[in-house]
Amino acid sequence: MSDFQGMEELLQDFLMEATDLLSSVDNKLVDLEKMPNDNGLLNDIFRGFHTIKGGAGFLNATELVTLCHLTENLFDRLRNGELTLTSEIMDAIMDATGAVRHMFDALGRGVLPDPAPPELLALLKQALAGELTQKTDTAAASTAVTVAAEPDWSGLLQSVTKVPNAVPVAASKQADAPHPGMPPPVALNQPPEQIIQHAVGRRPSDKPGYQGPPTSRREGEKTRDNTIRVDTSRLDQVLNLSGEIGLTKNRLNALRNDILNGNTETDTMAALDQAVGQLDLLVSDLQSAVMKTRMQPIGRLFQKYPRIARDLARGLGKDVELVLVGEETEIDKTMIEDLSDPIIHLIRNAVDHGVEPPADRTANGKPTKSEVRLEASQQGDHIVIVVSDDGRGMNPEKLKAKALEKGLITDEEANAMDERQSFNLIFLPGFSTVEVASDVSGRGVGMDVVKTNIQKLSGSIEIKSVMGKGTSFVISLPLTLAILPVLLVELGDQPFAVPLSMVREILPIDINLVQEVGGNAIMVVRGEVLPLLPLTSLLGWSAERVPEYGVLMQATDSAFILAIDGFAGREDAVIKSLEGFRPKGVAGVTTLSNGQIVLILDMKELLSGLGENRGVPRSSFITEAAAA
Amino acid sequence: MPDPSKIKFLVVDDFSTMRRIVRNLLKELGYVHAEEAEDGAVALQKLKGGGFDFVVSDWNMPNMDGLQLLQAVRADPALKHLPVLMITAEAKKENIIAAAQSGASGYIVKPFTAGTLNDKLVKIFEKLEQSPA
Repeated sequence: MSDFQGMEELLQDFLMEATDLLSSVDNKLVDLEKMPNDNGLLNDIFRGFHTIKGGAGFLNATELVTLCHLTENLFDRLRNGELTLTSEIMDAIMDATGAVRHMFDALGRGVLPDPAPPELLALLKQALAGELTQKTDTAAASTAVTVAAEPDWSGLLQSVTKVPNAVPVAASKQADAPHPGMPPPVALNQPPEQIIQHAVGRRPSDKPGYQGPPTSRREGEKTRDNTIRVDTSRLDQVLNLSGEIGLTKNRLNALRNDILNGNTETDTMAALDQAVGQLDLLVSDLQSAVMKTRMQPIGRLFQKYPRIARDLARGLGKDVELVLVGEETEIDKTMIEDLSDPIIHLIRNAVDHGVEPPADRTANGKPTKSEVRLEASQQGDHIVIVVSDDGRGMNPEKLKAKALEKGLITDEEANAMDERQSFNLIFLPGFSTVEVASDVSGRGVGMDVVKTNIQKLSGSIEIKSVMGKGTSFVISLPLTLAILPVLLVELGDQPFAVPLSMVREILPIDINLVQEVGGNAIMVVRGEVLPLLPLTSLLGWSAERVPEYGVLMQATDSAFILAIDGFAGREDAVIKSLEGFRPKGVAGVTTLSNGQIVLILDMKELLSGLGENRGVPRSSFITEAAAA
Repeated sequence: MPDPSKIKFLVVDDFSTMRRIVRNLLKELGYVHAEEAEDGAVALQKLKGGGFDFVVSDWNMPNMDGLQLLQAVRADPALKHLPVLMITAEAKKENIIAAAQSGASGYIVKPFTAGTLNDKLVKIFEKLEQSPA
């Protein structure tokens, strides 16, 4: 059962806001390593822990309060110049944020978090006491651990309020004794030794070999949150538009009555025309406004990566800076969540494989510090995300040799491959370029998963690499998955929708240009040999007439011409998924303006169903007229 | 005691979850009118716009913290009569002294319950009635 009965909503709010806050603290910590004396940063981080502590108190998450309190005190001393930030203290703090995240995971599962590992608390306490600095300031250290016992607040406040003219609106005489019903969390008022006693005493079975919570890969994070934060001005716009639609509806109702009563004068009809036109405009505005509420700045995803990159680079003895660009770029919320893992993997890959160790970089005349860039931008109706490094680049020959050795490709295939195709080898399942799999980038599982995940989002991924200069992974994604621009094609009078993103061009099928290779009909378009595939045969229908038009479509790694009878135009389809059953090759359905229901075809699935034997003979395209 | 439903609160905190907690507690006590501000600077703007009867403010905030807000309120002839209840996570005596010297009407330590909040509010209202501004 949940430890948060009746508080679930509060808990969700807290987690969402506090997780963002923690990510920004993480980033500021990375910055702080570069500028250890920046008071603004120290203040911000202090406030971050302080705020989390305050919220945690209301959730009765005592252990989280304890941990945040210790860390916050540490930053209080740092910002007041009583302590100097050393790498030892930094490590303790990094562990602390990891532990806080761990506790968030527990809260996310609806349980009160366990105490932080005693070693960590001891470490923080040590840092607080100034014992983690190289030059220990003993005078400061002695005061550091003295957290005063509960002060006599009422007496204190009273004595203060007695000062003449000091307090215009004085607190009452009996003021502000702590409420007996709700004492502050026990840890706040105890010296740190007792806090640790408390923590250890609560859970003696704590594993001594505790490695510190995982910071880069969070398994518990899989639970998807179903809430979304929307700028109020965007919601207001939705409200505004729906109000206006209501008004237009009223206008239409009135006009309808007029018309039903026989009033069909020019004025009335003009007004009707105007009202319908207005409704048209308002509805499309409303659609785009609603869509916008789903759009979130990608920065919310990006902000957790600098810390991951830093930890990785440190573990590998490399000096890497992760540069974020275009954090304000907006992208559909569902995509943000699904992009998280692929981007983590690409960053890991860049830090682990892409970037050289400092010694190699110096030898090659590069600066020891390497730069990994994570960039997002909107290009037309696509979002482009680029993960690039300034490392050693990829060697196509080496990649081919590796793939050959692993038996993933044949000699002929290897010889026929151009540079781009060689790079794409790393997306093959089971491919890994490093002889000894490191614990950082895993064992060759991943790059293939990255590609599959991106494709699931209707996106594509491309590699650009120059030896000695670096590698870029370019991910291209549609703006949103909710609306799909489609081309409506016809078989007889039955329309089908195909994704417009796959359509390269539309061309008539001229039997004189159709050739036959190995019993399969092909067409040569500007030197490119393309198989000619009738939609009827893809669907397994019998052909009732000879297709007259072709749609040149580009699938991920091959192009083909889809032969059809005609077109019914293009639409922005709102995809409705078919709950419960899903016929092979059907991605979903949509409703046309005339109310007709149309199947949206999943071309990839249709093609995969064909196997090797995908072609049809040339004779399928000979019309009676041509044959005569 | 004034009619709770007629008092308009301004809840100031940079952490929206906390604003919500405070508003919910106020609502539980019958104080249904509340607006929010995310830091002292925004709060001061709103207060200057008028219409507020009571300020509940967090201490530690970016831009303008709770203490600065309190001082600004007390320094403004149009606002100085407003009761200001300070909320903080810290039970430090320096803080209490600073708050009292700057003219806080009350001081409450996180976490607190509706009961605690009510006690504080009642005391502040009693005080107000005894010495009308």
